[in-house]
Amino acid sequence: MLAVTLFGFAGFACLCLAMEKHYKDLLETAPSAARLRILRIAGWLLQLLALSLAVHNSGWAMGLVELFAVLMAGVTLWVFLLPYQPRLLLGLLGLSLVLGPVLLMLPG
Amino acid sequence: MKEGFRQAMAWLHTWTGLIFGWLLFAIFLTGTMSYFKEEINHWAQPEVPVRAHDPLASLTLAQNYLQEHAPNAGSWFIRLPEAREPGLSVGWRVEGAGRRGFIEKNLDPATGAEVQARETRGGDFFYRFHFQLEMPHPWGRWLSTFAAFIMLLGLVTGIITHKKIFKEFFTFRPGKGQRSWLDGHNAIGVLVLPFHLMISYSSLVIFMSLVMPASIIASYGDNTRAYFNDLFGASEEVKVAGVAAPLLPLPALYQAFQEQAPGSRHGWIEVQNPGDQNARVRFSRHGGDGIAYQRGGGWVFDGVNGTLQNDSKTEAVPVVIAGGMYGLHMGMFAGPWLRWLYFFFGVAGTAVIGTGLVLWLGKRQLKHAKSGTQPFELRLVEVLNIASMSGLLLGVAAFFWANRLLPVGLEGRAGWEVNSFFLLWTLSLMHAMLRPGRRAWAEQLGLAALLWAGLPLLNQLSTGQGLIHSIPAGDWAMAGFDLTALGCGLFFAWGARKMWRPPVLVAKRAPKAAKAASANLIESEVS
Repeated sequence: MLAVTLFGFAGFACLCLAMEKHYKDLLETAPSAARLRILRIAGWLLQLLALSLAVHNSGWAMGLVELFAVLMAGVTLWVFLLPYQPRLLLGLLGLSLVLGPVLLMLPG
Repeated sequence: MKEGFRQAMAWLHTWTGLIFGWLLFAIFLTGTMSYFKEEINHWAQPEVPVRAHDPLASLTLAQNYLQEHAPNAGSWFIRLPEAREPGLSVGWRVEGAGRRGFIEKNLDPATGAEVQARETRGGDFFYRFHFQLEMPHPWGRWLSTFAAFIMLLGLVTGIITHKKIFKEFFTFRPGKGQRSWLDGHNAIGVLVLPFHLMISYSSLVIFMSLVMPASIIASYGDNTRAYFNDLFGASEEVKVAGVAAPLLPLPALYQAFQEQAPGSRHGWIEVQNPGDQNARVRFSRHGGDGIAYQRGGGWVFDGVNGTLQNDSKTEAVPVVIAGGMYGLHMGMFAGPWLRWLYFFFGVAGTAVIGTGLVLWLGKRQLKHAKSGTQPFELRLVEVLNIASMSGLLLGVAAFFWANRLLPVGLEGRAGWEVNSFFLLWTLSLMHAMLRPGRRAWAEQLGLAALLWAGLPLLNQLSTGQGLIHSIPAGDWAMAGFDLTALGCGLFFAWGARKMWRPPVLVAKRAPKAAKAASANLIESEVS
């Protein structure tokens, strides 16, 4: 469930950064159109990964319930911390992008 | 035409939200607490000991107890200790007393001795309140079901009204008065929308036979019992044979159940006709074994020769879907992590309603900010806002304080706990009427902070099972309650502090900011 949380969180973070307004606020530079597109694709791919992982781990019924729960929790945390702790959130994004694949590699 | 539609939806959202907001706030708050019903029960009855689980030994103790105290009862019920419910409870129907004469006792799972726990409704009170509202049957259920319908309506109209749902998906701008409240309201509403929709829709499904009985009445007439029997399977009761036969030891049947359904948990264990040739032992389904909640079925054994009588039957698709809605609403399948998430989403639902109420008032008060007085209707809404939100927090705290402070032997003790809940709630309404708005908020939140943060201390002083004891003992239900109460207390203290400070900034900026903000609001909300 932790890996699903991390991928889902990273996915929403990328989708947020894929919006020009938020990208400028967070990273303080203007993004190129290509970069926004990459972020958007990456965001959706991460969500897809989270979905397949959740369903693989817990089956469709329980997997979807878990996925929705951790996605809602992750994105709510992201949105309400954004004005206060943007750096912390970027750190969390980095952390989940590193820790998520590591958890996938681990056996079991 | 399209804008007219959106205007109409905004109007509906605003006014149904206001009228039902106060009630919905209470329903959502107590419903959210119900995700920890068992933990609250445990806190409310600290006499029930927490022991290492040993189902076989506990079953033997329960059987011995029932054999001794209720040998002639028509049926016995046994609930074994579980992770979330430490007590071993046994119950039986008194002979000839029909469905009403039901006696339930708490036993110590390790010794089988009766536990004299204080009389309380514990978490069940909040659970029952959230759909019965302490009103006579069926009015409370009707009202709460209607409130659920309004919630669903509020969600749909809210989405229609909220024009920039995708553009402002990630937007929250704090420190900007009304703007921030609206951002917060929208963000919590949109981000946790799947939960909100699930909760309000499933409430309607749960009570659908109450709300939309026409199709049932058309087929079954007044015989609604037959409908439920067809739907969930009648509780097949076997006739008493009249021939005495010893009941098998229940632990042996328990092992047979585990062989039949490896990995499955069970709910109540019911023994029909104990001591008779036709004894039946039923291991009912555990509510948390899957998402879809299944009422009927279970595993039934012959109590004398131990053969399996019927397997748990599979149910029709619509019943499973309705059971799925029920299961999703109740979250009985949720482990600790998922349960906490359920709790936080419930808090989010409560917050959507609360912020909505604050918004309604704030927006209209801005228009009267210059004159310094406000018309009667705004004052009325203000008083009701305060009483329904901070007043409810006080009422809940009063319930828990009463649980610890009322003498254990008091006659009608459980009723007095409920009375103190309503008493403090009513007092908070009167207080809100007498004090100016901001002051009333500050004072009530301040008192709520004291009462909530004081609960762990009170628990320690009155029962000796405070955090100093529960954390080393690994009693996480008890410790979790105390820590959550402390956390709530700190949060209310933060709120009280915000309200206590004179609103210098707001007052100075109000005239300018007010115009800009309200113009903004109107523009972004319903332009």
